[in-house]
Amino acid sequence: MKRFYPPRTLLAWLVAIGSLGMLVILPILFKGSYWQTLAFITFLFVSLSISWNITGGYAGQVSFGHSTFLGLGAFATAIITLRTGLPAPFTIPIAGFLAMVYGFLWGYPTLRLRGPYFSIATIGVGEATRLFMTNLDDSLRNIPRLKELVKYRPLTGGASGLTLPIPPDIQSYALKFYYVALLFMLGVLAVSWWIRRSRFGLALFAINMDPDAAETLGVSTARYNVLALMVSAFLVGVVGSLYAQYFFFIDPREMFSFQNSIAMVLMPIIGGIGTLWGPVLGAVVFKVVEDRLLTTHLEWGPLSINFVQFNLLLYGLLLVLIILFEPGGVLGLLRRMKGSRLLKRAFTPARQKG
Amino acid sequence: MAAKDFVSLVISAILTAGLYAIMSYGLALIYGVMKIINLAHAGVIMLSAYMTFWLVTAYHLNPFLAPLIVMPTFFLVGLAMQQIFIRPIAGAPPISSLLLLFGVWLIMQNVAYLIFSGDTRSIFTEYTLLTIKVADIPLSLNRLIVFAVGIVVLVALQLFLSRTYPGRAIRALAADSEAASLVGINTGRISMLAFGLGISLAALAGSLMSLIYTFDPDFGRSHLLKSFCIVVLGGLESIIGVALGSLVLALVEAFSVIWLRAALQDFVSFALLVLVLLVMPNGLIGLIRRQTR
Repeated sequence: MKRFYPPRTLLAWLVAIGSLGMLVILPILFKGSYWQTLAFITFLFVSLSISWNITGGYAGQVSFGHSTFLGLGAFATAIITLRTGLPAPFTIPIAGFLAMVYGFLWGYPTLRLRGPYFSIATIGVGEATRLFMTNLDDSLRNIPRLKELVKYRPLTGGASGLTLPIPPDIQSYALKFYYVALLFMLGVLAVSWWIRRSRFGLALFAINMDPDAAETLGVSTARYNVLALMVSAFLVGVVGSLYAQYFFFIDPREMFSFQNSIAMVLMPIIGGIGTLWGPVLGAVVFKVVEDRLLTTHLEWGPLSINFVQFNLLLYGLLLVLIILFEPGGVLGLLRRMKGSRLLKRAFTPARQKG
Repeated sequence: MAAKDFVSLVISAILTAGLYAIMSYGLALIYGVMKIINLAHAGVIMLSAYMTFWLVTAYHLNPFLAPLIVMPTFFLVGLAMQQIFIRPIAGAPPISSLLLLFGVWLIMQNVAYLIFSGDTRSIFTEYTLLTIKVADIPLSLNRLIVFAVGIVVLVALQLFLSRTYPGRAIRALAADSEAASLVGINTGRISMLAFGLGISLAALAGSLMSLIYTFDPDFGRSHLLKSFCIVVLGGLESIIGVALGSLVLALVEAFSVIWLRAALQDFVSFALLVLVLLVMPNGLIGLIRRQTR
């Protein structure tokens, strides 16, 4: 098979560079606008989607507990900044590292379980973490030795959350973060791309296809799965940190919510699980659909329909339809559409779905 | 702690365990026959709670008779679900059925949000506040009857599984599906039956729980996890295992109230689940033995 398609490759590069260029100049065109914030949050969600895909797509371990990393990253940054006065950007690696450690802590026991059993256990981990973090302040107040910790200021803030100090020049601050998030997203994409080409990635694909066979060939499934989860956790933790720094307010019930975990599961599946570009596409579709639904308000005769409520319903339907008819997601659909060998090449999934 | 409090805690744990056993058995039955973890379990528990609410408030049905309508309805729902969702993906990797049923659960949950709104509901009947005193220990009549209904159904189910042809066929299928089809069991039809039964057990649990707890469209989630925890604890092999698992979880939950804030009660079951996986992943019967690497 010929491996070089000059015109098409050129086209792909042009598309890539063109869209990247548009993202770079977007905040200059629409300064400090709604679109800038939407693009920022989409970058974060694309990063989340790609990170989840490393465990869920490449290794095939579907985790419903990724919001633990998001929340941990956000709260690490907020708590460290508020308590030590360390500038927030310096907390980013700490946030990622803590999330990674937490990933090891719960991944090590739960990844002994296979497939669906691991998934259910992660729901448990997510719920337990959320309850623990939401009630942390109140619980500490009842423990004599640890009471001092929360005497004057909250740790996680419980139901009322934490507020970070807002910098004076909010416009340039937001602009700076826009580019930070864009760069980070590209970095995460590069990590995902690198994993696909490395021995590490090959091991993950092997585990995904047949864990027993992989084990026979000397791939330590437990070790690689935990490692994949840790990489994923680190990246998600950093996203949490960026989120906290951009929005200045975090609430444990929201950051650790099941909804966030669901979003991370849905995005790669919508786009095309286990592929390089699927999660990117899925996250963009997810975020844009959500945004359109949030702002659409339909008046139809006496009926006034607010589409916010349809949000998760729509994703549920989408999920069912995708699994039933096109397990490859949007990318699978594109690939099925006639033609493009380029699409075929760029979007080959980690695992051919049967 | 006074002896009286201790006894009443144990009794309340046993009453809760009866409910837990019903909902876990639904999950175990479906897993046993089809090797599918039914994430829509949570949605069924929640929807049946709403259906009971509707029957009791709109038609003034006696709340303890509601399962007579709720269970057959959800049995049919289960048959339909099996035909629409499960049959087409037979043979696909297990994770697809998990995600698919997760999608079904999302749909159920959000349809419920649309129809019933996110408000917390509760069913208040003439039984709700009645208590009887046995040896100076007050017992809620409501919970006693709920427990009794649950036990009756579990006994009936056990008889069905051990004495009738379809029941035995279900057990044969759970033990070895290939051998079952070799001896002439219609595996397709029996799977459908098992799925319907599993769903109607979840519905029974939801219907009974709605008489005790408050509920909203997110109602079933913690119960799904509890069911899973119970199945992990007790194994899938027998109703005794499920009952034991239910009892352990209910007791741990009841006594955790002494040390933990009430808001953290759900934390116990999740922590217990992770702890069991960590400490004795190979020492457990059934599910875990088969699934650990």
